[in-house]
Amino acid sequence: MKTPTDLETEPAVDVAENPALGIDQAAGDFSYDVSYAYDAGVGLNENTVRYISSVKKEAPWILDFRLNALKTFLAKPLPTHWATRDLENVEFDKIRYYLSQGQKPKRTWDEVPDDIKKTFERLGVPEQERKFLAGVEAQFDSEAAYSNIKDIVAKQGVIFLNSTAALREHPEIFRKFFGKVIPTGDNKFSALNSAVFSGGSFIYVPKGVKVAQPLQAYFRINAENFGQFERTLIIADEGSEVTYMEGCTAPKFSTSTLHSAVVELVALKGAKIQYITVQNWAPNVFNLVTKRGVAHEDAEIKWIDCNIGSRLTMKYPGVVLKGRRARGEVISIALANDGQHQDTGAKMIHAADETTSTIISKSISVGQGRATYRGQVHMGKHLKNCKNNTECDALLINTNSRTDTYPAITVRGDTHAVQHEASVSKVNEEQIFYMQQRGLTEAQAMSLAVNGFVNDLVRQFPMEYSVELKRLIDLEMEGSVG
Amino acid sequence: MSSLEIRNLHVAIGEKPIVKGLSLTINPGEVHAIMGPNGTGKSTLAKAIAGHPDYTITQGDVLLGGKSILEQEPDERARAGIFLAFQYPSEIPGVSIANFLRAAVQARMGEGEELDATAYYKRLYQKMDLLKIDRKFTSRSVNEGFSGGEKKRCEILQMAMLEPRFALMDETDSGLDIDALRIVAEGVNTLRGPGLGVMLITHYQRLLEHIVPDFVHVMYDGRIVKSGDKSLALELESRGYDWVKQELAVA
Amino acid sequence: MSTSLSPTPATNPIGDFTADRFNAHLAGIPHSVPAWWIERKRNAYAEFASLPMPARTDETWRFSSREHLSLSGFSSSTAETKAVSPATGIEIEDATARLTFVDGKLSGRTPLSRELASSGVVAGTILEGLTTHSELLRKHFMAQPQKLGSEKFAALHTAFIPDGAFIYVPRNVELKSPIVITHVSTGAGSAVFPHTLVVAEENSRVTVVDVFVTLDESNATRAPESKATLNAFACGANDLYAAHGASINYAAAQLWSDTTLSFQLNSTLVRRDARVQSLNLHLGGSQARHESLSQLQAPGAFSEMLAISLASGNQEFDQRTLQVHQAPNTKSDLLYKNALLDKARTIFSGLIIVDSDAQKTDAYQSNRNLMLSDNADACSLPGLEIQANDVRCTHGSTTSRIDPSQLFYLESRGISPAVARELLVFGFFEEVLNRLENESLHAVLIRLIEHHFRRAWQPPTK
Repeated sequence: MKTPTDLETEPAVDVAENPALGIDQAAGDFSYDVSYAYDAGVGLNENTVRYISSVKKEAPWILDFRLNALKTFLAKPLPTHWATRDLENVEFDKIRYYLSQGQKPKRTWDEVPDDIKKTFERLGVPEQERKFLAGVEAQFDSEAAYSNIKDIVAKQGVIFLNSTAALREHPEIFRKFFGKVIPTGDNKFSALNSAVFSGGSFIYVPKGVKVAQPLQAYFRINAENFGQFERTLIIADEGSEVTYMEGCTAPKFSTSTLHSAVVELVALKGAKIQYITVQNWAPNVFNLVTKRGVAHEDAEIKWIDCNIGSRLTMKYPGVVLKGRRARGEVISIALANDGQHQDTGAKMIHAADETTSTIISKSISVGQGRATYRGQVHMGKHLKNCKNNTECDALLINTNSRTDTYPAITVRGDTHAVQHEASVSKVNEEQIFYMQQRGLTEAQAMSLAVNGFVNDLVRQFPMEYSVELKRLIDLEMEGSVG
Repeated sequence: MSSLEIRNLHVAIGEKPIVKGLSLTINPGEVHAIMGPNGTGKSTLAKAIAGHPDYTITQGDVLLGGKSILEQEPDERARAGIFLAFQYPSEIPGVSIANFLRAAVQARMGEGEELDATAYYKRLYQKMDLLKIDRKFTSRSVNEGFSGGEKKRCEILQMAMLEPRFALMDETDSGLDIDALRIVAEGVNTLRGPGLGVMLITHYQRLLEHIVPDFVHVMYDGRIVKSGDKSLALELESRGYDWVKQELAVA
Repeated sequence: MSTSLSPTPATNPIGDFTADRFNAHLAGIPHSVPAWWIERKRNAYAEFASLPMPARTDETWRFSSREHLSLSGFSSSTAETKAVSPATGIEIEDATARLTFVDGKLSGRTPLSRELASSGVVAGTILEGLTTHSELLRKHFMAQPQKLGSEKFAALHTAFIPDGAFIYVPRNVELKSPIVITHVSTGAGSAVFPHTLVVAEENSRVTVVDVFVTLDESNATRAPESKATLNAFACGANDLYAAHGASINYAAAQLWSDTTLSFQLNSTLVRRDARVQSLNLHLGGSQARHESLSQLQAPGAFSEMLAISLASGNQEFDQRTLQVHQAPNTKSDLLYKNALLDKARTIFSGLIIVDSDAQKTDAYQSNRNLMLSDNADACSLPGLEIQANDVRCTHGSTTSRIDPSQLFYLESRGISPAVARELLVFGFFEEVLNRLENESLHAVLIRLIEHHFRRAWQPPTK
């Protein structure tokens, strides 16, 4: 049962102009006809799960884990008592849960099948890899097509594999941490992922190793009516440091696509993990992702999360501050254009003394776009001297743009300091007029103003990303005025 | 015998030693200027004597009238006669100056003693006139939204109302223009007298033109390295702190 | 509509508020009331009985304790009206008028001056108003939507309210001093449904003070260590309506006993260029929920929403607010401050909604929690839903302890730690209290807080 896509292969825009990692929304809007050797068919039941597990030749405990998760998924209602009812439009029985050409990724781009290689070349992945990455994992629908790590990094003992391979090759590490940060039943979509997960990265950084260049994963959805469910687990052992970046694109189909990942981070004593996401899914993708890290003593986890694409994103990266003096940070940028709902935020669970967390969120709503911030900051009993600082700023471009802010802060005890501030504003008209007076068009002026609004956050991205982010904002702002 | 005596004082913030064996005796009626470059421990010395909880006294003693005050809480030290004029006075929203000073004056009275409100306000207004502070100030919150000069005048007002035996004046001149400096100095000068000992912490000689000290001490790296009369301040002004450092290096 | 319902207790319990009790209540209503009043009560009872109790998944009840939300144990008859003159601690000099209700029935009043009465001002009861101003009451009594979670309790209130205060100020009439209404509960076993309805017509001005107090010994003791002794129920509401250019200053002091389960549901409706300031002081109750809805319906409308809670013992103060901007150029400003002692809990959940055509909205929402105990719990849910772009909307929430540098500053002036803390706590509240225009009201509220604070506050021993 093979179901290749039958979309036109011509790209919508001049690719050469936008070579970077799918930052330009339109640059990802193409797909190739690919023959899939493995296809779990349409819809989800026990057989789907068994098929995925058998294709991957998994150990029995993994199949049990998946089957239990399926039960949890089916039993859990959609969280529409607080979330948008748009979730009801996810058609779970029309989605294809597993599509691949095989389970073994290639070590060189030359070995990658032509059509898939062409996809990643157009997205600029191999070029980026040569320039500034320590390793790349390129996932095409359900499995990684390419996976490589620079020798110099591998020699330090860093493990960088797709999760399918890691489960086979390093079960002892994998099993110890897998599903511990985000339990299957955390929410309906973490349960779904736990049942049908495939792909994603597994990273282990040994004690004291500081990986100088970022490791990168690229997630590509190529098929229509498809669901991508990668599972990422990053373990930074004591005193180590690692930066991980992920990008993602999909072609724009008329039907909806589902992306539901689970990402677990473990930063052991004194370790630092920085996790950067530039989410640029096509505007038909439901992006329902659970991301959480555990920071042990003196460890630091920083999520830098930028959401530009998708129809509906629901994602609230979190840090459980488990060890003394652990630090957590979420930097979030969301841009919601017509037909988009960016429902993003952050969770900071303080579970040890003297832990500190920072959340900075900026959103821009354009046209009828809707940006929602949801936050949770929790300081439970018996803790001392914890701190949180949260800032949420929303910019509304058009009269019918919408923004919401829903933080939840719970504090017990008299030694903590928590501060939350949020503001909503529109672009300063004086500023726009000033720039127009200097000869800029209104759209150009608006782009500059919006870039200015997020500038302090964009600077936290690696240079290669920040340049593209700015360009993307320019593109999104086109046609937003007048 | 009611002097303020600092004996071989060592003060640390956390693990870090700041004051490293400082001795100084201030007798009533004397004004001691403590000068020194930034970061030598001048403010630490003042705050530690006042009992600030962030400072740990690791060695030495501070005696007031022959009795150690180190076991006392900050408010007990204050009532015993120590007054700290802060370099950066706290802003206390919602607490009016009138209420605040009233509580401070009341705290110095015996159990069951009632404050005579009329006399209190009479005295308060008299001191305010002296310091050229608008009477409307009494209903404003302590230091909230005050200019630098207003904050410092408010410190001197409190000092005037609370009549301490020893005043520790921490960089009282910082952030003041010449007019404000003059008013503050006049205020201090009127309070000078045989009953008051003053430790005047300053970085610049400027203040000492207005409040003439009896003694000048140079503090460096947590210790007093040089003492003299007011001429030492002038010498410092012309030769700079490097001069002291060089002398030290030679020694 | 039928009132004979047999609901399943688990999902929609009616507790002591049975159909029989409701029918007995109806039977006791004077025959002079208009038919719509009875009709509305019947509908309300049916609604009450059909609605479920708050559930864990209700967003409007997030973080609230639900285990003590009982509707049972409040069955004592309210037939006997005692003549009381409770010492409420509220002594506002030269009040324009006073009304005292005991268990919902008028027990005493100081009427308006003849001059004011003849100008059309009313400071009377709802029962009186149902005869004299039936249409006005019909239009404003519990007429606004219940959006904050206590629909069931609002319906219960309407069903069982025996009487309440009705304040009406005609066009261009300005009342200089406050109208003071005291709602007394006789405590153990009683259920009360206090109500104050204020209608301020065009360009009028009025200050209204509600005092809620329990007449029994438990009020003089500290909050109990357990909520299990809950023995009184108060389910009150108020409606404030400010017409074009009108100004209402409303203050409420909630001093229920520490064994009272309390609901207080406010609706404020502000018309063009009108302003309403409301300040709610929460000191009493075991679990006290306050819901406040402000609707800004025409340009120039301004609602200032203020609250102070001093929570001690095992008290839980649960505050839910909604600022709805329905017209352009409207303004709202919310400041809720909580100080928490012992094992107390506070919940602040506020939402600003700006409708899509409410351009030039200026909305502010601030929740400040001062933690005075390591076992106290503060939850804060400040929310925004903004659908217009040309707005100025901000919110802030802080939870912190007494600032150690402020404490040291006060101590360095010779003030003892206990007095210093008290000064700082009152300083914390003062930012709210100093928004009051009425000096004597300001002084009265401070005295109430002081009294309560000194009773509850035991400074930590060093």
